[in-house]
Amino acid sequence: MELEDLLLKHFGFHSFKTGQKEVISSLLSGCHTLAMLPTGTGKSLCYQLPGYMLDGHVLIVSPLLSLMQDQVEQFKRFGEKRVVALNSFLTLEEKNQVLRHINEYKFIFISPEMLRVPYILGILGKLKLSMFVVDEAHCISQWGFDFRPDYSKLGEIRSALGNPLTLALTATATYQVREDIIQSLGLSNVTKVESSVDRPNIAICIEELADYHEKEARILDLVQQLEKPGVIYFTSKKAAEQMAALLVEKEICQAGYYHGGMDPSTRVLIQEQFIHNQLEVICATSAFGMGINKENIRFVIHYHMPMQIESYLQEIGRAGRDGNQSVAILLYSPGDELLPLQLAEGELPSEQQIDWLFASIAGEPRVLNEQLRLHKDLKEQGGFTDVQWRFIEGLIHQMHRTVPMQQMNKSVKEFVAGRLTTKKTNIFQLKQWLDSASCRREHLLNYFGEMLSDQVQPCCDRCGVQLNQFFKVSGHFKSKPSDVTWNQYLAKILINSGLSE
Amino acid sequence: MLHIELIILHCLQSIKNERTIYSIFHLLKGKKSSQTIQDAHLFSLKPFFGILEPMTRELFDRKIAAMLQNNLIIDCGGQRFVPALLGESLLQNNRLPIFINGWDYHQITGPVWERLTLLVQVASHLEYGETNYIPIQKNQAVHSWVKTVIKVSNISKREMGRKLYNELTKCFCNADGINPSVIVFRLTGFQQIGLTAEQAAKKLDLEALDYHLQFTNTLHYMIQNIKDNNEQFPLLAYLIQGFTENEELTLSARKTWNLLLQGYSPEMIASLRRLRVSTIEDHLVEFALNINHFQIDEYVDNGLQSKILDTSRQQGTKQLKVIKDKVKNASYFQIRLVLAKYGEQSWN
Repeated sequence: MELEDLLLKHFGFHSFKTGQKEVISSLLSGCHTLAMLPTGTGKSLCYQLPGYMLDGHVLIVSPLLSLMQDQVEQFKRFGEKRVVALNSFLTLEEKNQVLRHINEYKFIFISPEMLRVPYILGILGKLKLSMFVVDEAHCISQWGFDFRPDYSKLGEIRSALGNPLTLALTATATYQVREDIIQSLGLSNVTKVESSVDRPNIAICIEELADYHEKEARILDLVQQLEKPGVIYFTSKKAAEQMAALLVEKEICQAGYYHGGMDPSTRVLIQEQFIHNQLEVICATSAFGMGINKENIRFVIHYHMPMQIESYLQEIGRAGRDGNQSVAILLYSPGDELLPLQLAEGELPSEQQIDWLFASIAGEPRVLNEQLRLHKDLKEQGGFTDVQWRFIEGLIHQMHRTVPMQQMNKSVKEFVAGRLTTKKTNIFQLKQWLDSASCRREHLLNYFGEMLSDQVQPCCDRCGVQLNQFFKVSGHFKSKPSDVTWNQYLAKILINSGLSE
Repeated sequence: MLHIELIILHCLQSIKNERTIYSIFHLLKGKKSSQTIQDAHLFSLKPFFGILEPMTRELFDRKIAAMLQNNLIIDCGGQRFVPALLGESLLQNNRLPIFINGWDYHQITGPVWERLTLLVQVASHLEYGETNYIPIQKNQAVHSWVKTVIKVSNISKREMGRKLYNELTKCFCNADGINPSVIVFRLTGFQQIGLTAEQAAKKLDLEALDYHLQFTNTLHYMIQNIKDNNEQFPLLAYLIQGFTENEELTLSARKTWNLLLQGYSPEMIASLRRLRVSTIEDHLVEFALNINHFQIDEYVDNGLQSKILDTSRQQGTKQLKVIKDKVKNASYFQIRLVLAKYGEQSWN
């Protein structure tokens, strides 16, 4: 059977998206593969399809719990029930249940911290694995913007699992990071499928404004005029909430907000309201967007500057999935880089926190339990945030076998200092891009080691862009939801009573 | 609407200046501490236990400050307050949310809501014949529950939507002082995503906490109605089935229980949690009192157990000192544990 026939049979698609076929062919010919594919190109298909043709289980390591849940759901929606996620969402009982029946699952998603548990690794080691997939593989690299200490063990784990056929997936990784991935996983003879990070149908604009008052006014103006739907990214949750409220209050559009501080069920509702066009604009933090497939997003605005070029690209990449012309607008005002700098520091534990932690655990033999986890109370007592805690826990776990306890404090601090430098460099590089007089697109591509081969039109503010071509053509403003009674509403959703729109 | 204020006034009136204002905060938050649980009983405030879980201390403080400013309460110093004249007249002239039953239902309110929303979403998509959609509840337990309901209820897929519609409208129709809108507009169906709590509050022009209160009141009304008229609501009845009874464990004991299940010894738990061993022993006694399947053999061997029980019976006492004098090799902890586990039986 041709690959295309299989694609149609299993997924109902007639053709592959960029890079998918190359990745699948490479895997089927038995080559380890590093794939850098833009977000939204259906990365999971790259292992799902070969998974059907190869004998054995597919183990997929994924760092983001929510994304993992989404992927499992998506598999199920496409009729694949032999899929499971092993992560901390499971209760002890559920976990044991899954492990007892692990043989029945073709696709096993797992979080890196679960792989740390020797017992679980032992069970997985007994399975016949057809593929070992590392999603978000850039998290392996210390040069990457999203380094996770947990991920640096994956090479070791891979070898403990008998070096199965490996697929490393990422959306955005510089050349250095890609090399790091290959080396860290111990992949020899690797096929690289690297599609361009360029999204020619997204015009890139940067506007400099005096301060946040001007930014706010500009946002109101832009949202009023631009073709919707759209997303506005913020670094602060509060700013996202306030802007959404303002857009509604001024009756500019149906807007909602989305950030990681909301409870999961509310987040699903907002996301689905957006997908079903009940909301036209989402004011969000970077928590929004992963695993969301909405084809017709027409604009992405950045109210704050992101932490690095990689995140910026991922975020603007949510626009124009349908291939139609879209626009990305970043609003900058002097001093904006201070916020990401502060955040970078906040993401890492401080020297004082590290000293405190090591002082508290000194002479405590049982500080690490069987799963080599520090006790949670230490997290609260030391005032660690979730991010800081995950970082330091992973780091200590990674170091504890190689670094003696007495030296660990120092090593941890040195490591943290190194991470901070990397993060600051990332922010600096983004700022350089903002300040640069050259073509925005070309500069971005160069950052990822690519050359701009074809000029696109419209390209960027440096090359010249008329924003009004992205303005909405007619005033097809969605009328406010009519005042239905609760009874009519219930009738509409439950007995198909044909209530008019 | 002065719902929250009314409830705070009612609580203040009940505690009669014997507790600080924060005892009310803990009560409304449903804090699982022995003090709060005792207060709920002592001052007959059980219906309000745990009905405002989303409230923050900051919001509460702001509410109290506003009530003070509006002359609804009087500051007695030391974080104690009593209703002012205006507050008392408010209490006389307004009705408290009558269906609210925090003590009995606060633990199942969330799960029942998750079940209801998923059931409606599933029924709606069955009605419209659409199988591809994102479930708005992620909780796998709720997913399995819906599957079971569809299987055992014996309702055909085509009828599910109408059955549910009929039962829901029947459930709401005789409700006095209930606005079903607070619930209904938050439900998700085919190509119609429900509102978030905040959006619903805005639509109904309510403050966030007042909305939450009405929402809880309405949901508790539903639960009670379904419970009282089980046969009228064959489908909705599944919503409230299969919950374990309210285990009255304190929060701290719960943490110990979870560690115990993972195989830690009491000493290890004490060290891990940085608590005294005696505290962990108190928890074990709580388990012996509250958890039927909790076995104490690991802590007291069988011979000693019978000895303690026999002594207690023979001496006709539950006084630890008396038993300890007779059974010298038993520790106080072991005696408490045995009495907690078998104390009641030994008198039969």
